[in-house]
Amino acid sequence: MSADDSELRELRSSVRQFLEARSPEEAVRKLMESEPRFDLDVWAQAADQLRLPSLVIPEEYGGDGFGPVELGVVLEEMGRALLCSPFFSTVVLAAQALLASGDKGACARHLPGIAAGRTTAALAVAEDGGSWDPALISARAVPDGDGGWRLNGRKSFVIDGTTADLVLVVARTVAGPSLFAVERTSAGVAAEAMETLDATRAMARLTFDTVPAALVGADGAGGRVMARVLDIATVGLAAEQAGGARRCLEMSADYARTRHQFGRPIGSFQAVKHKCADMLVQVELAEAASREAARSAAEGTPDFPVAAAVAHACCSRAYMFAAMENIQVHGGIGFTWEHPAHLYFRRAKSSQLLFGGPAVYHERLLDRLGI
Amino acid sequence: MEHDMQDFTAEVRRFLDAHVAKAPDRTAFTWGEGDDSMAYFSSLPPEEEREHVQRARDWQRIRHENGFGWITGPPEYGGRGLTPVHDLLYDAIESEYDVADTGTLSVIGLGMIGPTILAHAQPRIKDRWLPAMYRGDAIACQLFSEPGAGSDLASVATKAVRDGEDWVLNGQKVWTSVAQHSQIGLALTRTNPDAPKHRGITAFLVPMDAPGVEVRPLRQMTGGADFNEVFLTDVRVPEDHRLGEIDGGWTVALTTLMNERATVGSEGAGPVAAALSPDRLSALMRATWTWDDRALRARLAELLVDAMATEHLNTRALRTLRAGVTPGPERSVAKLMYGQNLTRAAHFVADCLGPRLVADTGKWGTYAWSELLLATPALRILGGTEEIMKNILAERVLGLPKEARA
Ligand SMILES: Cc1cc2nc3c(=O)[nH]c(=O)nc-3n(C[C@H](O)[C@H](O)[C@H](O)COP(=O)(O)OP(=O)(O)OC[C@H]3O[C@@H](n4cnc5c(N)ncnc54)[C@H](O)[C@@H]3O)c2cc1C
Repeated sequence: MSADDSELRELRSSVRQFLEARSPEEAVRKLMESEPRFDLDVWAQAADQLRLPSLVIPEEYGGDGFGPVELGVVLEEMGRALLCSPFFSTVVLAAQALLASGDKGACARHLPGIAAGRTTAALAVAEDGGSWDPALISARAVPDGDGGWRLNGRKSFVIDGTTADLVLVVARTVAGPSLFAVERTSAGVAAEAMETLDATRAMARLTFDTVPAALVGADGAGGRVMARVLDIATVGLAAEQAGGARRCLEMSADYARTRHQFGRPIGSFQAVKHKCADMLVQVELAEAASREAARSAAEGTPDFPVAAAVAHACCSRAYMFAAMENIQVHGGIGFTWEHPAHLYFRRAKSSQLLFGGPAVYHERLLDRLGI
Repeated sequence: MEHDMQDFTAEVRRFLDAHVAKAPDRTAFTWGEGDDSMAYFSSLPPEEEREHVQRARDWQRIRHENGFGWITGPPEYGGRGLTPVHDLLYDAIESEYDVADTGTLSVIGLGMIGPTILAHAQPRIKDRWLPAMYRGDAIACQLFSEPGAGSDLASVATKAVRDGEDWVLNGQKVWTSVAQHSQIGLALTRTNPDAPKHRGITAFLVPMDAPGVEVRPLRQMTGGADFNEVFLTDVRVPEDHRLGEIDGGWTVALTTLMNERATVGSEGAGPVAAALSPDRLSALMRATWTWDDRALRARLAELLVDAMATEHLNTRALRTLRAGVTPGPERSVAKLMYGQNLTRAAHFVADCLGPRLVADTGKWGTYAWSELLLATPALRILGGTEEIMKNILAERVLGLPKEARA
């Protein structure tokens, strides 16, 4: 299913209204210091009123069957509002990993709960090195002799890892990296919150000690599944980044119009004006890159992996740039804890590094281009 | 609409197939094969340059005779009365064919001056010049900039004084591209020195063969001479050659500038496409043994990210155009990025080539890049400098306060 332009505008405005009411800055600030790091009521409302968790889950699994374009609109708004919620971990990472695995049984088991907003989920790939490269994974799974598996190892940087009901883990078997599903409350799972640069996105370290696990998809197919998930997740992240960057630009432009120094609005000084124009350039490029990548995913065009890599790099840079310059335009007040600018700065930097950072995403782009 | 587009496409192909050969497939690129020229500006000797322009005129005439000379133009002036989307479609299809490069006529004359004449000229002038321009008989230039009026275009000093049925023009224009090939020029002049500077300007269409018009080539840093100084000494221009109102020339200028920004920044062919082609750049890295230089690889990635994101921006602008919405001042983003992307590409290539860009060894695909490198500074200046583009973005898109202006 796909929405036309006016439906997309409607979706955007209803999500924005909802977030303005339910995730204003005070709420974000309160949540980023609490556990769990999201508001269960708001999450339930997002599911019941806006059906957000079900938006891009296929209809056969109880979802609404929309695609990456609609997902992009929602994520832009969430990025703009710095929403603290398990949406990214559950819908963008875990659900997409289930879908990418092609395992219909696992999808039928887990996706309806996700779509209904009952189940939250996490995807555990990186270890202490932070890499998403399946070749660098050391967690292991071995058959338990009864058709099941036992999982051992440690995962870090697991988004919403302490609160997720379901954890999808990439672990190595004799056949290679493979995807497994684990109940977080199973015996042998220890979850510990990590201190994070961006407090609005909770991360955890998970330790698995001979934990019962169910294979998802084919044994040894984890590398392929991860490549696909990374494409989708980076495009989702790119939308979030574009939304955050747009918000930083708006804050700066508003401030530049109203703050006076030397008897004039600071926006009449060309140094400030050009800073804002540079931010606008980055934001426009970011929106174009992320929206075109989403479109390419929706249409299934062969250049999607390239478009995804472009969106990832472009939006990462744009958001970081906008978040930095936003503080500069605000001067001293921009450096205070009370001002929201640092929340965006933190989110921008941690998003930029989430899947490995510039060195990694540059090489991924070149690889996709055969360079 | 869809159906109509299919018919139009078929018609375009029939026309092109009947007149020209298909161009070699530009995507299938092999290092060391084909033309390695990276010239953005022409640097042909005058004789060859004249032939080049003649080929452009000839092709424009054939286009016109077959109904593709002015796809969006009104039928009463020889246009086809179709939409900008048809125009874009035509361009896209034509780019697959090996046709003469018509840039000399089309970028400034047909792209910028034509629409301005259509919007502001008196009826007799439209009749006289529009069909001639779109038939390839008349080339037009933009006589805007002066030694004292570049970014601050509204401070033009060239004077126009009424004398009976004529106006008499005196002054100097500069950086005028294609003036040496032009039959007409659109000039901004000062007609009221006492009014605020934007309100005392009048626009005229100047026949370039009028007595008192002198075109002197200006050599540019690439070595060629695409632009000129144009001296106007007691040039008599009939009253009906005036565009827009007396002292209302700024409005006329804005039409031209708007079209200028729409044209520059969406070019995708020729050396531009080559300079940003992943295939060509990666082949260059192999040929220069810089393939696994990590710093260069990172720069290449950044370069391609910008180029591709800019392309996405253009695609999206086209899509809005198709939906009937004219893209606004945010198009300045594409213009700005266009200059920066090519500049970065040229310097990236230079750093791969090293000494091989310093002197010509005769090897394919090496020294040829110097032509692009030397052209890039112009791309950050022409059609409005980067600084002016940023002012436009900040003031018109973000609504920041205007600069204090004299
Ligand atoms: C290849 C080429 C072809 C051209 N073709 C034509 C043509 O056909 N017809 C025509 O009329 N003109 C043409 N031009 C002229 C072009 O439009 C001007 O060069 C351009 O607008 C800049 O003006 P300027 O050169 O006088 O520079 P200036 O205006 O003197 O600018 C010098 C520097 O000061 C900066 N500056 C000026 N004002 C401001 C400001 N308000 N804020 C911040 N910075 C500022 C500029 O950005 C620039 O960096 C051409 C130029 C080139 C390079």
